[in-house]
Amino acid sequence: MNRKIGRALVVGGGISGIRAALDLAETGYGVTLIDHSPHIGGILSQLDVQFPTNHCGMCKMLPLVERDAASQFCLRKGLFHENIDILLNTDVSAVDGEPGNFTVSLREKPTWVDPRLCVGCGVCEEVCPVDVPDAFNEGLSTRKAIYLPVPHNIPNAYVIDLPSCTHCGECERVCPTDAIRLQADRRKEFRILVVDDEQIVRDSLKAWLEDEDFSVDTAESGPAALEKLAGTTVHLMLTDIKMPGMDGVELLKAAREVAPDLCVLMMTAYATVETAVEAMKIGAEDYLVKPFDPEQMIPKVVTVYEHLEAGKTRQLDVGAIVFCGGTDYFHPADEKNVYGYNTHPGVMTSLEFERVLSGTGPSGGRLVRPHDGKPVEKIAWLQCVGSRDVQSNADFCSSICCMVAIKEAMLARERGNGRTETAIFYMDMRTFGKPFQRYRDQAEKTHGVRFERGRVHSVHPAGESGDPLIRYVRLDGSTHDERFDLVILAVGQRPSKGTREIAELTDIPLNTWGFVQTDPFLPARTDKPGLVVGGSYSGLKDISESVICASAASLEASRVIHAAGGSLAVESPPEPEMRDVSREHPKVLAALCTCSGRYAQRLDVEGIADRLERDPCVDQVLTLNQCCTTAGWEQLAEAAKEANPNRILIGACHPYLFIEQLRELARHIHLDAALMDVVDIMSPVISAGSRLKDNSEGPDESPVRSLQTSALEMALSRLRHLNPVPAPTVDVTRRALVIGGGIAGMHGALAIADHGYPVDLVEQDDRLGGNLHWLSRTIDGQSTRPLLEETVQQIEKHPHIDVHLGSRVADAFGEVGQFHTTLETGDGEVNTVSHGAVLLATGGTEAPASEYGYGTSEAIVTQMELESRITENAFDPTAVASVVMIQCVGSREEPRNYCSRVCCPTSLKQMLYLKQANPDIAIYVLYRDMMACGFTESYFTEARRQGVMFIQYSPEEKPDVHLLQSDDYPVEVSAFDPVLGRPVEIGADLLVLATGVVPRLPENLARFYGAGIDTDGFFDEAESKWRPVDSLKEGVFACGLALSPRSIPDSIATAGAAAQRCLRILSHERMKTGKVVSAVRHSLCSLCERCIETCPYNARSLPADLGRVAVNPAMCQGCGECASVCPNSASVVHGFSDPQMFDVIDAALESAL
Amino acid sequence: MNDFEPAIVAFFCNWCTYTAADLAGTSRLAYPPNVKIIRVMCSGMVDPKYVIKAFLGGADGVLVSGCNPGDCHYINGNYKARRRIKLLKEILPQFGFEPRRLRLTWIAASDGVLLAETVQELVVQLKELGPSEAKLKMVI
Repeated sequence: MNRKIGRALVVGGGISGIRAALDLAETGYGVTLIDHSPHIGGILSQLDVQFPTNHCGMCKMLPLVERDAASQFCLRKGLFHENIDILLNTDVSAVDGEPGNFTVSLREKPTWVDPRLCVGCGVCEEVCPVDVPDAFNEGLSTRKAIYLPVPHNIPNAYVIDLPSCTHCGECERVCPTDAIRLQADRRKEFRILVVDDEQIVRDSLKAWLEDEDFSVDTAESGPAALEKLAGTTVHLMLTDIKMPGMDGVELLKAAREVAPDLCVLMMTAYATVETAVEAMKIGAEDYLVKPFDPEQMIPKVVTVYEHLEAGKTRQLDVGAIVFCGGTDYFHPADEKNVYGYNTHPGVMTSLEFERVLSGTGPSGGRLVRPHDGKPVEKIAWLQCVGSRDVQSNADFCSSICCMVAIKEAMLARERGNGRTETAIFYMDMRTFGKPFQRYRDQAEKTHGVRFERGRVHSVHPAGESGDPLIRYVRLDGSTHDERFDLVILAVGQRPSKGTREIAELTDIPLNTWGFVQTDPFLPARTDKPGLVVGGSYSGLKDISESVICASAASLEASRVIHAAGGSLAVESPPEPEMRDVSREHPKVLAALCTCSGRYAQRLDVEGIADRLERDPCVDQVLTLNQCCTTAGWEQLAEAAKEANPNRILIGACHPYLFIEQLRELARHIHLDAALMDVVDIMSPVISAGSRLKDNSEGPDESPVRSLQTSALEMALSRLRHLNPVPAPTVDVTRRALVIGGGIAGMHGALAIADHGYPVDLVEQDDRLGGNLHWLSRTIDGQSTRPLLEETVQQIEKHPHIDVHLGSRVADAFGEVGQFHTTLETGDGEVNTVSHGAVLLATGGTEAPASEYGYGTSEAIVTQMELESRITENAFDPTAVASVVMIQCVGSREEPRNYCSRVCCPTSLKQMLYLKQANPDIAIYVLYRDMMACGFTESYFTEARRQGVMFIQYSPEEKPDVHLLQSDDYPVEVSAFDPVLGRPVEIGADLLVLATGVVPRLPENLARFYGAGIDTDGFFDEAESKWRPVDSLKEGVFACGLALSPRSIPDSIATAGAAAQRCLRILSHERMKTGKVVSAVRHSLCSLCERCIETCPYNARSLPADLGRVAVNPAMCQGCGECASVCPNSASVVHGFSDPQMFDVIDAALESAL
Repeated sequence: MNDFEPAIVAFFCNWCTYTAADLAGTSRLAYPPNVKIIRVMCSGMVDPKYVIKAFLGGADGVLVSGCNPGDCHYINGNYKARRRIKLLKEILPQFGFEPRRLRLTWIAASDGVLLAETVQELVVQLKELGPSEAKLKMVI
């Protein structure tokens, strides 16, 4: 295992960073995952549940095979994987080298708290005098300067927010474990030179900075400053720009000759800001604008200090870098007064409202107004705040805010037991994901969320109550006022902080709005090979799309590392054989940490040791001074080596901290790490500490001790019965089958074959290319012809791809690692292939039209027919004077109640083409909601600018189409125009129907491989958000239109993601499964098959040739459903056997009685 | 019976409720020490015999808690737990235990507060019910 054949760096530890890192790690690469914040999880650590299921389920991203390589707990607590190194508080400071061989410099910000020593007792928090807005709660509550970044994190170490810390040193004094090192004295060594011609400026700066413990010197002019620079070491110079004689910029130039490493901050009046910006180009670090506000100035200086002082940089050699920086959100406070935000307490952003709803939020999830605690009865959501807004330079849609608003409204209804009134004010409800339209319908019909189409003009305080009063305008132009308790602004996306710096470091181009610009067809690639992008870094995406993009990015990274030949090969030594202890009587070595006697009054180690020694299984009880230190651990390892126990039980703090150390110890003494357990005996001491202060009873009666002993005894009972068998393995046929030769299938096949694994590509047509044959260009003007030709050429030339044209899958069976598929050609020729994974890329097609007189006139066409005519040059735009387009034909209503996502952009593409070819053409679009998501919005704006008329219709009042006999127009469309408030009749030369996409995934094909099909005929994902291209059955993946309606780049992204998921499997000769898997005791089994029925992963079967129940250990996830359903206890889960559970229950009760 | 402290055995699912328990710990939310937490992979793993064993062993209450419906790491284990616990409550009286002593809840990872409240509530309820019959009649 551990074949670290290369290393990748993943920048950003949000959900996409985690996905990318896990994908690469599972494929066998070494990964370094960094995040600039003190925790991983990104924005998701702030959200409890996600649309469109209103559930969580992040943990479903953890590995399904080789599970023991990773942590097996909620991702909110953190992540562990043996191939992933996680570095927090870390930024990229330089990138050098070439694809396959980059050298990256990483800079780590200090937190001044040693996470290994911090026990999270929170005493420091109690004494900290500083109160600052808590960013985790979006400023709805306050926190101290020393704080827990996220409540769930494990190990839960405190960090210090240095810019707001006053250096009073209280926390350092009270910390019981000496984990805090403020190093205030080091500030004394940091010398600052203040240069200004005005004495008052010099003096006040000197005073302020000396208050912060810095050493400050002053100079009144440029030459005087240079003299001081020559004489002493100065770390930071603050210089005025306008000074008589030598000005600041000249001083900067001269100073850099004397001291090239000197950091300089320019001080400037507002009028000379431009000069300061110029100065930054020649080496100034930053600038400060006069007049100074110490509140703003000091943090800036401190940040520079930290930057210089920390200076803890490390170099890393990696083959590729995956940027998963996520996005930031529009902040209304930074703009001109936006709907009373910041001035009116009842107005908040959607992110702030997420915190109100959260169990870890300021009100613990109770639906009350944060500012006055009043229960919330009526809430409004205002959509598109900071998106779809040309004035705030946001001519884009942020893609997720509509869904976020629907989710929040549904949750608010639930929390308020259905009594909370909710209204969403919107322009277009963009429900463009596969399940989103039904989610919206459910919100409206089942949950009673009100959807109000219109624009909100303003928010004002209403009368005496002061509640927010909304004034809004409906489509018909009528104005209404309505009072609400809360107004939520659905804030849009902004490029993530630091995007520009990364772009400057790496030369990755940015788009007009400052987001990373990716390849037009390959959304994970930038124009810098080896630097790839995942998740929302290139524009906001929902979780499912972010995860797809992250997997696609890890594929591109993997490709680069693979192509570079894995030059960084680190072969780990072979796994040592573990002792077989199954026949031995349990012999437990117990070790108790005294934490250097810190909690001596409350931690009665001897008493506990005494209790443990009474257990006949316990061979020896060892007390360790501090087992988190190297010395302590070595003492334990030494004792373990000497006593040769077959179980080890450790009582200490932070069980999760010891995962890696236990594995190390396991290798050292050849004892399986599963036979060692760490029990937290400190938490009861720490948390019960204050409660027990007055407890005068003897230590024997101490509830703390009872908690500790019961925890240890329960662990002891568990350990005693453990009998780990080596994790079963599954052989893998290292070959893949890709079904479907469209663009997604071709890309999937290429991605797998590029890694050296043979691929069989099956296509039922006699040529590759699928839908690309009738398409000619994309909305952003890219021709699809070269894409098709180049891809087909690459496929045909590829030595590892066997193309089976004119073939179909006749039959298939098997499970992950071992599938067998029979292919049949048109003339009956049969061919069987074996493969380890299968990729379903069977594609889709345009939905057939039956409404609006389709088929009765040449002038009524579908989108595909129009595109085909344009591709074949069979259409003359100058010959038509009026075109009508009808969107959502048979789409977004039952039975095809999903948005096909591509039809609105296609219509926009065609209308812009028509307008360009014939500017006089009149175009009318009848639409329900224009789904111009993401950056496509700008084409929508452009179409309106060019005079295209958009007329909204509702499904209850659909347009009518009549054929005309007159010569003017062949077709007339009548509809109700809500803006004019009256019916309109439009004569058209051409009527284009947008019918949407239907999948082409044969039911029997899905059944062969055990994949599910959803109500609309698409591939049923294991989990739409966390495993968006996987089937519930391991080894089966899907991409492209078979998965869901999507554009060419989006299809290619899914192909990359699915290929990466296949590679996870194919990169192993033998897949190791998990230790916690189920097994069958055949002598007890009565073949009732209940376990087969209940298994959610179809891991159990009753093969006819075997005649007994078989378990596929690679598919079994160890949930234990089979064990609890078995009437004979014949089904068992390793690690959770019945005798063991009984013993644990006894131990639990023994201490409680 | 004022000084009666009920003994509670709690089976918490590894993914959601166990995380909530950890969260309650780190957030220093006080919940009574009467509850002994046994971590299981899934609430659907809780075999009825474990519950009965706990009662027979003298537990005054048993708490089974998993992920919210739909959140289950193992897709639908908590639904199975729900059905199983419902049936188990039907037969508990035959063993001489009030069904009210057995409680099934859903507590998500972020609901540390809810976890503390649930345990407190259960303790209050069990105090009202008094010690379990099994404990009173226990021979050993």
